Amino acid sequence: MLARLARTTRAYGFTVAGIAIGVAGLVALGAMAERIVRFIEGGDRFVLGQISVAGRGLGMGAGFTAGGLLPASTLAKLAAVPGTAGVQAQVMLPLNASTSQFMTLTQELVLGVDLSVPMPNRHYRTLPVRAGRFLRDGDRGVAVVGASFATSRGLGVGSRLQLEGRTYEVVGVLDRMLTAPDRFVMVPIADAREQWVAKDPMLRTLLASGAMALTAADLNTGAAVGWRDGEDPDRVAERIRAEVPDVNVQIPSELSRLLRSSTAFFSALVVGIAALGFVIGGLSLANTVTASVFERIRDFGVKRALGATDVQLGCEILAEALSVTLAGGVAGIVLALALGAAVDGYVARTGQQLFFFSTRLLSAALAFSALLGAVSAVYATLQMVRLTPAEAIRRGT
Amino acid sequence: MLKAVGLTKSYEAPTGGTLPILTGVDLSIERGQFAVVTGPSGSGKSTLLNLLGLLEDPDAGEIWLAGEKVTALSRTGRSRARGRFVGFVFQSFLLLPSLTALDNVLLASRYMGGRNARGGLGETRGSSRETRHRAMALLEQVGMLERAAHYPAQLSGGEQQRVAFCRAVLNDPPVLLADEPTGNLDDANGAVILEALRQRARAGATVVVVSHRPEIAVGAGPVFWLQAGRLVSPPRISEDPSTLKEARA
Repeated sequence: MLARLARTTRAYGFTVAGIAIGVAGLVALGAMAERIVRFIEGGDRFVLGQISVAGRGLGMGAGFTAGGLLPASTLAKLAAVPGTAGVQAQVMLPLNASTSQFMTLTQELVLGVDLSVPMPNRHYRTLPVRAGRFLRDGDRGVAVVGASFATSRGLGVGSRLQLEGRTYEVVGVLDRMLTAPDRFVMVPIADAREQWVAKDPMLRTLLASGAMALTAADLNTGAAVGWRDGEDPDRVAERIRAEVPDVNVQIPSELSRLLRSSTAFFSALVVGIAALGFVIGGLSLANTVTASVFERIRDFGVKRALGATDVQLGCEILAEALSVTLAGGVAGIVLALALGAAVDGYVARTGQQLFFFSTRLLSAALAFSALLGAVSAVYATLQMVRLTPAEAIRRGT
Repeated sequence: MLKAVGLTKSYEAPTGGTLPILTGVDLSIERGQFAVVTGPSGSGKSTLLNLLGLLEDPDAGEIWLAGEKVTALSRTGRSRARGRFVGFVFQSFLLLPSLTALDNVLLASRYMGGRNARGGLGETRGSSRETRHRAMALLEQVGMLERAAHYPAQLSGGEQQRVAFCRAVLNDPPVLLADEPTGNLDDANGAVILEALRQRARAGATVVVVSHRPEIAVGAGPVFWLQAGRLVSPPRISEDPSTLKEARA
């Protein structure tokens, strides 16, 4: 029994290995594409869930609040615009302002949120917490960190984090979302305001000069604005633009388009990677299956000499091709998962994740393998049954 | 039992055109006869055997097996007829390397679809246990029972041919075709295989052997001498093989 198993493994080992390599390539490239897709989809989902507003100007905030100061009086005007439902003040700052974030898709950011107001984003009423808890109204000196941020710094619940000379206790770690919040540090807005003042000499100069009568509540880089049920968010945003002076308002659908156009390169890259994976993995698999049939052409000739009909041989080849392909497909997926885990384990130190092995990707890879295996088997069978048994025996001898 | 009428076959020549291999071959071999097809290399012996065994299709002519005109059958019908009527013994054994000796023998039963070769449609061949028992018995008859679990690569040429013989006769086919069955064997092993084939003829099967070896024709039934694709009158067969050589010359 064991000898038979060993012989069978030896007989089909190279075929399975060949298919496994093709599928592993397909799955690995697909997982990279999936990772990029999830990032773009996550960002798109976020911007379509709220109206992002910043003060008119340049360079005060970061991320989607980039613009000028958004004082409390303006927040009140925003709340008064018909159709709005909830205005949450926010402070968004680069974690390390001295580090160039050029070409960095997922910048490390500090996000201060006003927890006295419910999250207005319709798609993210709460952020999923993997460990610990989310921020609460009244918290001070605590932080909730994104999954990648936590991994890159070895942080967990109870860890301490130094931000602008102050120690924060990590009270929660978010689930991996494969989008921007993975690299966020979220703190109560009062703490974020302190950090902003500490980071920005110009703001300190402005406050010290007394040229503007500013209170802590005026120190906001932006706001997330919700809308009432039944309202068209684009119309509400346009209303804000018309009724509230000195603000930069992002129309959700426009921002979504902008996001998609700014990520067009990555979208094209995704298509390219997927196509490459399809071609490399598909060709490798099809070639291996057909070669495994053709290299045993003599055996099939013998079987036909023993009375096998075309249908019997076709079924036999199909069953064999499917078994071998599925075995190779599973092995390829395991290989790709191992490769992905190794690479992601390495790049996690910098807070990155290159692969995302979604269920849909793995299922599609397996289905694709089986389908291509079946098509290749049918092709090989059709080629083979064109030969007479004598010719098949001659060619294979 | 086995009849061919006007068999004609040609192949495409590599340089274009056709290369005639057999032209208008007529033959008839009765049940229980041990027939020999012989002739010089390239005379069309193996092609004739392939046509008789339905391994190739003739360009023209008819083949009758057990009273059935098998050349008129569909492609599937010809496959089934091969399984039902014909057993093959090849010069190069053609055992499947991934199967044991026993499994190679049993392979012959896989494509029979529960139909008995001699009995025809409707009669079942019995359970797979009986088939296995029969395969073991055949291997025992040729002294291969101890090697039943061995793979072809672990067997000598003579042993492989004995396994191939068991495979050919497992379904008890009424026609047994052997193409140079002793071509790759030493004299002792060749004699074992030839005697086994003669035994099948004595048991009632129609046996056709293609061979270059003149001694095979000695004591055989009909001898068909092929020359340039045509059947010609055979030279006189003598107990002394040298006589045959002289006749060939």
